[in-house]
Amino acid sequence: MSSRKKVLLKVIILGDSGVGKTSLMNQFVNKKFSNQYKATIGADFLTKEVIVDDRIVTMQIWDTAGQERFQSLGVAFYRGADCCVLVFDVTAPNTFKSLESWRDEFLIQASPRDPESFPFVILGNKVDLENRAVSAKRAQQWCQSKNDIPYYETSAKEAVNVELAFQTIARNALAQETEAELYNDFPDHIKLNANDNSRNKDGDNCAC
Amino acid sequence: MSCVSDLSQSNEYLSFRSSIPLRKIVVDSDSSKAWKIFDCGPKSVACPLICLPPVSGTADIFFKQVMGLATRGIRVIAAEPPPYWNLKEWCDGFKRLLDYLELDKVHIFGASLGGFIAQIFAEYTKNCPRVASLVLCNSFTDTSVFEYNDSSALFWLLPSLVLKRMLMGNFTTDKVDRRIAESIDFMVERLESLNQSELASRLTLNCSPHYVKPHLLKDIPVTVMDVWDENALSAQVREDMYKSYPQAKLAHLKSGGNFPYLSRSDEVNLHLLIHLRQFDGTDLTPSFLNLHKLPISHTNQPEEATVSYFNQPEKFVTIT
Repeated sequence: MSSRKKVLLKVIILGDSGVGKTSLMNQFVNKKFSNQYKATIGADFLTKEVIVDDRIVTMQIWDTAGQERFQSLGVAFYRGADCCVLVFDVTAPNTFKSLESWRDEFLIQASPRDPESFPFVILGNKVDLENRAVSAKRAQQWCQSKNDIPYYETSAKEAVNVELAFQTIARNALAQETEAELYNDFPDHIKLNANDNSRNKDGDNCAC
Repeated sequence: MSCVSDLSQSNEYLSFRSSIPLRKIVVDSDSSKAWKIFDCGPKSVACPLICLPPVSGTADIFFKQVMGLATRGIRVIAAEPPPYWNLKEWCDGFKRLLDYLELDKVHIFGASLGGFIAQIFAEYTKNCPRVASLVLCNSFTDTSVFEYNDSSALFWLLPSLVLKRMLMGNFTTDKVDRRIAESIDFMVERLESLNQSELASRLTLNCSPHYVKPHLLKDIPVTVMDVWDENALSAQVREDMYKSYPQAKLAHLKSGGNFPYLSRSDEVNLHLLIHLRQFDGTDLTPSFLNLHKLPISHTNQPEEATVSYFNQPEKFVTIT
């Protein structure tokens, strides 16, 4: 493998409660699914190493409680995110309608450098169920209207498209991270005089 | 010593120093040897989180953990050992400190050397466990990574200026962001405040040949916390940690330099909270509050109190 620096990708999963965020993460990381619903409390994360274009990257996947909405988890939680995954339940139209506000919430909290191009991925989960209520077309249209966000129809239960979706998530996150890194290397020198350290790139958009 | 760094002038630090007393506790026959501790949080909590500093640190370097986690009802003790010249002496001293504080078991957040000794202590007390869990931050399992093994026997006679030079060499200030720069300034100040025997003894512990036997610790919940930027320990040392603790939760930080508890305190506190949450409702809980967020209260006699969720002090939740 390449001797390049190891990369850490921070991925955040958001969406209404009960859409299957934890199940998707568990299916991807542990290859396990449980029919039993247990509401996530607080936030938790799992790590997994994946290979993207011959590069080993470590994904740190943060799962949140759906009820968490509008109750800020604090910047620490959102800081340095490389990709945001928005999940809805294809059998529950309200969860689809909430996507917009989840996206806004993320952009406000994480305030990425370039909100327009920040990588999102939308997952329509529970396609194994019969009583589907949000058509693929409707979801795709919405995704197209939002700067062509990639859209996958998944089933955490039957492991449909989960691997594929997370591959895309990792790839897009890596592209984002590489870009962020270029930014970080700019400027080459920061002088650490007492008067000079207010001017740097930490958090703000200074290209100096 | 004059404290002029931004962090030691910050309101948070000043408030920490003005609200929590620095206690000196002598547990050795030599009365000049005293542990220095900041003990914050409810004394009713029997299994607190103890923070152990790296070579260059003093107890107050954990002020952001003490202040941040206190709002979640967690009892945090930042502890700084007196000069001990070998690991056994250190472990005996620490055990006496725990006895003095009447603590059966503790969670330990150990940074670098602090994390190494925490593992040694857990190993040392494995027959009568005193360690409930470990959070190892930028730490290591074998002192050979420092390549000073041979010369460490002579540290005791080196003047403090030379010892400080040895440490300062690791404090890169190249290409770092403001928060990392502040953390380095603060740590340099702490380093300046240490005397020769404190420094020499810690460096001796840090560099004398010794390694941890992690298989003896496999029953202890561990979180391995590390920073992935260039300042910190080499990638090889980090890999060794993962291999030593395959069952551990891995809390990677993208950046933060050598002192993430200062430079990335919000992220570090979030990881500490997630680590400590697994003990909710057990005898080993470090907090008098439930660290999981309470969704809705079903209790008859709710009591209102302010606790902050991920450092959001304005949130109100109901506690029982």
